[in-house]
Formats: sequence, structure tokens, C-alpha cells
Amino acid sequence: MLTRQEQLEWILDHYENPRHKHPLDDADAVVEGGNPGCGDIIKVYLKIEAGRVVASFEGEGCTISQASASFLMDEINGRTLEEALAIDHAELMENLGKEIVQQRARCATLSLDTFRAAARKRERAQQLPS
Amino acid sequence: MGNNAYANPQVLVSTDWVAQHLSDPKVRIVETDEDVLLYDIGHIPGAVKIDWHTDLNDPIVRDYLDADHFSALLQAKGIAEDTTVVFYGDKNNWWACYALWVFKLFNFKDARIMNGGRKKWIDEGRELSKIVPGYPKTTYRAPSRDDRKIRAFRSDVEAHLTKKLPLVDVRSPGEYSGQLLHMADYPQEGALRGGHIPGAKNIPWGKAVAEDGTFKSAAELQELYGSQGITPDKDIVAYCRIGERSSHTWFVLTYLLGYPNVRNYDGSWTEWGNLVGAPIEK
Repeated sequence: MLTRQEQLEWILDHYENPRHKHPLDDADAVVEGGNPGCGDIIKVYLKIEAGRVVASFEGEGCTISQASASFLMDEINGRTLEEALAIDHAELMENLGKEIVQQRARCATLSLDTFRAAARKRERAQQLPS
Repeated sequence: MGNNAYANPQVLVSTDWVAQHLSDPKVRIVETDEDVLLYDIGHIPGAVKIDWHTDLNDPIVRDYLDADHFSALLQAKGIAEDTTVVFYGDKNNWWACYALWVFKLFNFKDARIMNGGRKKWIDEGRELSKIVPGYPKTTYRAPSRDDRKIRAFRSDVEAHLTKKLPLVDVRSPGEYSGQLLHMADYPQEGALRGGHIPGAKNIPWGKAVAEDGTFKSAAELQELYGSQGITPDKDIVAYCRIGERSSHTWFVLTYLLGYPNVRNYDGSWTEWGNLVGAPIEK
């Protein structure tokens, strides 16, 4: 188990060296989520390849929101969509370090909510007649 | 630093001034950010952190901390009655002004803002530290909080409306018009209705600062607010979403322009936009 300081440094590493931060030109769905008041923005790109999630993000905003997005992208890439959608707020915050992010729950879960919105958008698009 | 004809020039200190007072035992530098982990990434050497959310708010009731908790906070940060507290932070000192406003609810005597905030300090290539300092505990005792002079409640805003007194909505034009409440495909949050309080003028808080995060000159600020009828002879209430951006405007009007009668409605749009039957304009 990481100490608080180690957890903090891990979060800061995700912020300063974000994983999967880039656009995805052939995404099945792209959704932008954010808090208009405080300025956190996350844009999630999602596609499914061979039954597995391929996802990336772009964004700007506070340390927690951006680090969370980086961590989440690490977690969901390569999983099935069902597995990725099984991640809930509690699990995400636990992995980020609940003590550190609990007062910024909205920032911490912005990436997950935006990813879920992207999944819904993809599903709707798949259901529409071509 | 010239005073730019501010009404209270002493409330703004420069980055040079802060650099010269890093070891001054009568000065406490306090970082307060919207991005709560910035302090941990690096801060002005010797600065302490006050997290507006965890340190300044009551954990149960939507309100600020009481005198006992405020006393404990300042004691722990090594702040005494005669300490000069200098706030700085990210986003053009937005949250630093919010923290200063809370300090003033307790009538704390000497609270100032480092002009330009965290960004200016960093842009000037000044030293940052990750060391969290400890200071001897003080015996500071806060008076009871007195909200009447600088804080407006819902009933005050309703009375303001009845008398057609000036309101300043400092949010973005999109929020003011009601276009922005939430992003598309994202859970609705903040308020059930968009728009603004009837009669409020829209003067976004960020218009009070220059590109480098420093406050604009007194002349520019007078034009910014005066041109919209926000003048020193009036009883003014400023608001935003939760009172944080409007505290920045409160600071500008009260300290830089010397307006004697400015209150911050911290219930702001998260209260008004959810109130059953409250009048709204778009």
C-alpha cells in the first residue's frame, strides 16, 4: 500500500506524464465533458477493435482531473467494453487515492463519466440504420 | 511598484516584495489554489497551504467555518493577530481572493494579495520548493464571524431586487445567458435552471486582470465597472456560481477601487438557479 506521499507523487506523475493523451482520428465516438465553472475539460476518444477498448483523451484543467484521465485510459485500454464500464466512481477514487481526491470527487470522476458518455454515444450510433 | 491610484495600494504586494520577505517572521505566505495539488508540485519557499474546501468550509452545513475552527487553523499555520498574511494562487488569484474574503469575515487585520499570483512567480523563474514548512503554533483567537458587511444572503438579494439595486454577475457570458449549465452528453450539475438574476450586469471576473495575471490599473477598472453603472455610491452585490469568482470582483471593487458597500453573494447561482420560483432572466 502506498503512503500518502507516494500516492501523491504517483498522481503528479500521471499529470506531468499523461498516458494515452492524443486524439484518435478513427474513433467510433468522441465526447467532451467538463465543468464550465472551473474549467476542467476532458475529451474522450473511443473505439472498439477486435472486441477491445481503444481509448485516448485530450484535456486541460486541474491536476486531479487530468491525472485521473491518464490513469483511467491506462486501465480501460485493452479491456472489453463491459469490463471497462464496470469501473465505478468508488473504484476509481480508491485507485487514485481516496484521501487525496475525495474533496474533488467531481474532478476525479470527470474522465469516467465522459468515457461512459462516449460509450453511450457509440451505442446509439451503432443502433441507427445506416 | 507604483500604486496605479488604487484606493488601497498596500493590499497588493509584488513578487519582489514577497521574495524579500520570505524569511520575515511577521509575514506568512499562503497558497490557495483552485487546482488543489499545485502546492505539492511546488510552492513559494516557506509558503503554507490553505485549501479553501477542506480548511475554510464547514464539513456538514453549506457555510464557512466558525470562530473556533478558524482559530485552530490559523494557530496551526503559525499566524497571529499581527501577522501579515499574503495570499497567492492559480487562475489569476481567483481562489486567493476567496480565501482573503473568508479571512475578512473574521475581520482579520492584515491580509494581502501577491499581484500576478502563482503564474507570475513561476514566469519570473523564481524558486519553488516542495518542502512543507512547519511554524510554531500561535495563540490566535478569532472574533465571532460577522457576515453582515461583506456577505449577502438570499434574503438580501431578494431585497436588492425589490429596490432595483445593482447586481454584478461575474460568470462567463454563456453562463449568464443560460446557455451553459453543463456540457453536452454530461450529467447536469450545478443548477436546474440557467440564466441570471434579473437586472444583473454581466462583468466577467477575468476582465479585471491583465494577461500576466496582475490586476488592471485603477483607471481601467473604473471604466470596466463604471461604464456598466457599478459605481462607488451604490450598494452592490456580486455573485457567480458558488461565490468564488465573485470574491475576486469583491476584492477589486472594495480594495482596489475603494467602493464602501460591496457584498459577495456566495449562495450564488447554485442557490438561485435551484430555488423554486426565483425570478430568472436569460
